[in-house]
Amino acid sequence: MADSSSVGLQPGEKPTIGAFIAFLLALCFFSGVFYKMPEAYKYLGSLDFTTLLGKFGTAGGATFVGKGGIGARQGFLFAVSLFPGVMTAMGLLAVLSHYGALKAAQFLMTPLLKPILGISGITGLALITDLQSTDAGAALTKGLYDEKAIDMKSLVIMSAWQYAGAGLIANYFSIASALFSAFLIPVWLPLLLMLCLKFVGGFLVRCVLNTLYRKDFE
Amino acid sequence: MATAQVKQSGNPFDIFIDGLRQGFRIVTNNLLPNVVMAFILTYILQMCGVLTFLGKYCGGVMGIFDLPGQALTVLCATWLSCGAGVGVAASLLQSNQLTPHDISIMSPALLLMASQIQYMGRLLGVADVPKRYWPMLMVNSILMACLGMFIMRFVVAAYA
Repeated sequence: MADSSSVGLQPGEKPTIGAFIAFLLALCFFSGVFYKMPEAYKYLGSLDFTTLLGKFGTAGGATFVGKGGIGARQGFLFAVSLFPGVMTAMGLLAVLSHYGALKAAQFLMTPLLKPILGISGITGLALITDLQSTDAGAALTKGLYDEKAIDMKSLVIMSAWQYAGAGLIANYFSIASALFSAFLIPVWLPLLLMLCLKFVGGFLVRCVLNTLYRKDFE
Repeated sequence: MATAQVKQSGNPFDIFIDGLRQGFRIVTNNLLPNVVMAFILTYILQMCGVLTFLGKYCGGVMGIFDLPGQALTVLCATWLSCGAGVGVAASLLQSNQLTPHDISIMSPALLLMASQIQYMGRLLGVADVPKRYWPMLMVNSILMACLGMFIMRFVVAAYA
């Protein structure tokens, strides 16, 4: 992603009402709250990612992927079964990002940066961009350091936040979505946990830098 | 990502279709080769008895996370490449060596410690983080992955 301006907030920019609506819709689509609704509220399933994916037809009691396959042939068929899920997830993410869902997320996340990570709100754009594109997040981070907007300690803390679960949202809904059908828990739960652990990891690195590596920053 | 491709058009249908196209490219160029490679690798490990060995001797360590020893292969694969980790997990799930319970517990680790070697260059290298901090950042990622699995162990138990 060469241009990140469509993803995150620029300095001084505020998310619009539309951005918060898009963020709310993102929560609805991927949280699974409208999955398997009772008959009277079945129409709400149109706001649920898993419902929209539908299901494959069956032949002889199994889908076209079959049962008992092994090796490259089974791997290929399994990979083919991933097309609908990944395509739908990326389509929905593109629309929701376009309407500012990530800008709203960045707005909500920024107040956490200083108290937990000890870094300024200006880093929010790079961090939120990293959730969608590792390369763009890294480029923005380097840009901030080169412009002297952040110091070395902030650079390392930001990198720790980004390195654990880089490209989290994009990778989760594209690559890891292959396993969603096996989850015994709602899809949003591991994502929320990973986001929290990014902050825990960042905080831990901040503590290590302030103690073991303290001399580097004196 | 998808958002870069869709800047020219404000039409939500065009944006959606561009996103679908992006998803198609991800599966074709990224997921499919990784998954086929992972299925072949798992088959080889299965034939060589490595999975049985891991199940027998690594069960104790992985027991901390309420996982069987075979789950270690998923973690090693995901450390090298996220797609490979997901592929190995899918393969072991299909051959009933891992269960949905195990996959759910491992879900945070599949991303938190994913593709560490690759991201050294793409993230730490690009951002110009001094190399002396790289081992700490790598340990931090693996630690967060372990913490994630440990928490998920209880979350999954609560949902069961």
